[in-house]
Amino acid sequence: MPAVQDTIDRVRKIDVDQYKYGFQTEIAVDKAPKGLSEDIIRFISAKKDEPSWMLEWRLEAYRRWLTLEEPTWARVNYPKIDFQDIYYYAAPKSTPGPTSLSDVDPEILKVYEKLGIPLREQEILAGVQKTDASDLEEPSDNVYKSGRVAVDAVFDSVSVVTTFKKELAQAGVIFCSISEAIREHPELVQKYLGSVVPTSDNFYATLNSAVFTDGSFVFVPKGVRCPMELSTYFRMNEKNTGQFERTLIIAEEGAYVSYLEGCTAPQRDENQLHAAVVELVALDDAEIKYSTVQNWYPGDAEGKGGIYNFVTKRGDCRGDRSKISWTQVETGSAITWKYPSCILRGDDSSGEFYSIAVSNGYQQVDSGTKMIHLGKNTSSRIISKGIAAGFSQNTYRGQVSAHRKATNARNFTNCDSLLIGDQCGAHTVPYMEAKNSTAQFEHEATTSKISEDQKFYVMQRGIPEEEAIALIVNGFVKDVIQQLPMEFAVEAQKLIGISLEGSVG
Amino acid sequence: MNMHSTPQRTQAETALIDAFGERLSLLPGDGAVMLKRDDAIEAIKHGLPTRRIESWHYTDLRRLLASVPAFDPTAAAKALAPIVEGSAVLAVLNGVSSAKFPAIEGVIVHRLSEKLTDGSIAPGLDPYGSDDAIGALNTAFVADGYFVDIADGAALEKPIELQNLQAGGQVHVRFPVRVGAGAKAAIVERQAGEGASLGSSVSQLVLGEGAEVTWLIVQEQAETATHLAQFKAHLGKNSKLTVFFMNAGGKLVRQEIVVRTTGEGADFKLRGINLLAGDTHTDVTMVLDHAVPHTTSTEVIRNVVTGKARGIFQGRINVHQYAQKTNAKMACNTLLLSDDGEFSTKPELEIFADDVVCGHGATVTEIDHNHLFYLMARGIDEKTARGLLVKAFVAEVIEELDDETIVEALETRLDDWFVAHG
Repeated sequence: MPAVQDTIDRVRKIDVDQYKYGFQTEIAVDKAPKGLSEDIIRFISAKKDEPSWMLEWRLEAYRRWLTLEEPTWARVNYPKIDFQDIYYYAAPKSTPGPTSLSDVDPEILKVYEKLGIPLREQEILAGVQKTDASDLEEPSDNVYKSGRVAVDAVFDSVSVVTTFKKELAQAGVIFCSISEAIREHPELVQKYLGSVVPTSDNFYATLNSAVFTDGSFVFVPKGVRCPMELSTYFRMNEKNTGQFERTLIIAEEGAYVSYLEGCTAPQRDENQLHAAVVELVALDDAEIKYSTVQNWYPGDAEGKGGIYNFVTKRGDCRGDRSKISWTQVETGSAITWKYPSCILRGDDSSGEFYSIAVSNGYQQVDSGTKMIHLGKNTSSRIISKGIAAGFSQNTYRGQVSAHRKATNARNFTNCDSLLIGDQCGAHTVPYMEAKNSTAQFEHEATTSKISEDQKFYVMQRGIPEEEAIALIVNGFVKDVIQQLPMEFAVEAQKLIGISLEGSVG
Repeated sequence: MNMHSTPQRTQAETALIDAFGERLSLLPGDGAVMLKRDDAIEAIKHGLPTRRIESWHYTDLRRLLASVPAFDPTAAAKALAPIVEGSAVLAVLNGVSSAKFPAIEGVIVHRLSEKLTDGSIAPGLDPYGSDDAIGALNTAFVADGYFVDIADGAALEKPIELQNLQAGGQVHVRFPVRVGAGAKAAIVERQAGEGASLGSSVSQLVLGEGAEVTWLIVQEQAETATHLAQFKAHLGKNSKLTVFFMNAGGKLVRQEIVVRTTGEGADFKLRGINLLAGDTHTDVTMVLDHAVPHTTSTEVIRNVVTGKARGIFQGRINVHQYAQKTNAKMACNTLLLSDDGEFSTKPELEIFADDVVCGHGATVTEIDHNHLFYLMARGIDEKTARGLLVKAFVAEVIEELDDETIVEALETRLDDWFVAHG
């Protein structure tokens, strides 16, 4: 198949490129020393072969970060993070990973099996390293199986890109890693980077601005409807590393793009910091649909380990009649601190937020959204479903505001929580701020448990309790699942079932 | 000593701390009471709350409290006719209670200054948390008020009206009220006055088993007054409390409602209306703790915002881990009638028990054009039609109260407000 050959060729080329840019020269320089300083930032910038303006931008963010304090307002508890005890730069594959699937934690494999991930893909997700050269030559129709098995997110995403690069280029769509974009499309990056989430935005976003190592860049030019769904898989590599990716998506006038972000590959490890920034810019009549299925490692049954997921995601409906839609399925991470937001700046623009947050074990979720109505006739819709089980705490925190000039602002918010077990907590903290008499805001929230009647109805048809609960929960979250692209919807449903395992009895 | 280590105090903070030093010798109570006062002023020395304190997010007291008037012993306030005819009136005039108060059958009344002097109410003077600025301010300065004890099984025919009337300067009063088991009572808390006063008022209610109380807070301060008020209640087993508040005055108003169910079967109802006009700031903050199983609550708040008024409703329902079978519902509806006005609302649910039914709803909107059209199509002019709709919107809450005389009395006050504010 020529397409496959094309993929293999392209990925090889990237490998060569990487070598050229010194990504993987030798193990000693693969990883910057622990800790954060201006030198580390210079090191990262040099590694990425960045132009000087980028370095300046990072240093400015770093200097600002030094003056900031960690936010404490979220309903999450965790030991103080030692920001000097983290590796801020680690190129993939610096330590040998498992060499075959039999070396991989059977727990993880069980999860993959349930998700229905093909065997070869499982190897990639679990980070199995291929040492046998013949393996690399093997032709395959699997896009992931592109020669040397890439174990880091960006690599994975590049392999996807390469598959369709021709087609995307024909349409004029740019889809590449942000590092590549900084080198290849500096004018676009300079224009838009930090224009939605400024370097001074918040503690974690500022940290990200200083040290981000990679991420995705999407540019859809005027009038183009991106011919396919774009997708990125993220995963973390090393122990004690922080992951700081930066995503920038720009849809010009009349453009449309649907972007999927998957963190479905849990790497079992110690507590790790993930502080990403995602910026979306929609110009006149543009539409961006951003979907996330987040399944970072949530920690073990005793609440040890897991990812600290402190993410800043914000979309700017800059143009008139633009639309940004966030859909998220949050099942992973020990701590989630994440508020994908929409700034409805353009007249008649609209924002949407659909969220499912499932927490089990000792997970803590503090998530929600912000809808800032600035333009005229703007509308927003928030549907949030929180499910708390085990010893977890699940908080919805959202803000809807209409400014003085935002005439006819319209919002509908619905956040429902489901409690499974009496040791967990579900919280709702909405902020509604109206400064315009024509604003029309509606908010409703409910909290309850699965009723015995519902459970009985399902179980008396011979369905075991755990499955019955998963079924009912999937019904509870249906409104949100429907917003997901097909392939993610199936995966998300299964994920919810998996994350609720052990919550019964 | 490093001079920079002390934070810059605002004029108001300095004035309060200085005033405490000057007033100290005049404040009743020593020993235990004085220790509480010292702790309270220490809390104020740490600074008034800013918007960084979550419970004060929309009312940055440090910024909003620009100046603090001095105590004015010469100011004179006059008792008002009670809202409900025939009520027993206990009036505090410019911060001073009266030795002459009506005898009420089944009720023991004391002047609070006596209770402060003998120290018997010292244990109740603690603020309820580190962010309780009103509690701290009141504890530091409280000089008078009334202590009311309603005997077990007493059924009061007429309401008791607690009046706190200012004429300027500073006034800090407190009304501890205990309602015995099975007792029934209606209590009106009247907050009114003239002049640019700063006042704090704390009401503390304890409901015995099976007690039933309707508590009305009618706040009609002058448009120059700063009014910081707190209503705290503990609900015993099978007790029923209905709190109704009406905010229709004041320049800077914060009304806190802090309620805790401590006995199974307790039921709490909160109904309130905020009538906001002028260039004013009104914040109603409710914290409701469902601390035991099988308790219920409903809250309905209606707001009308005109002029440049800023309104806030924060309502937090905490359901504790063992408070299974809690049923709690909250609604906050706002009519925003002016483009210069604003309303912010934060209805929170914090739930740690699983077998509960909790919900909240909040809306902000303008008058429904269909309703307006309906009325105008029947020949009613726009202004009258609007007036009717706005009045109906808030009157709905008043009509829910059981007692007809109270409903009538409140509707009269509502009419007065609409006449005064078009």
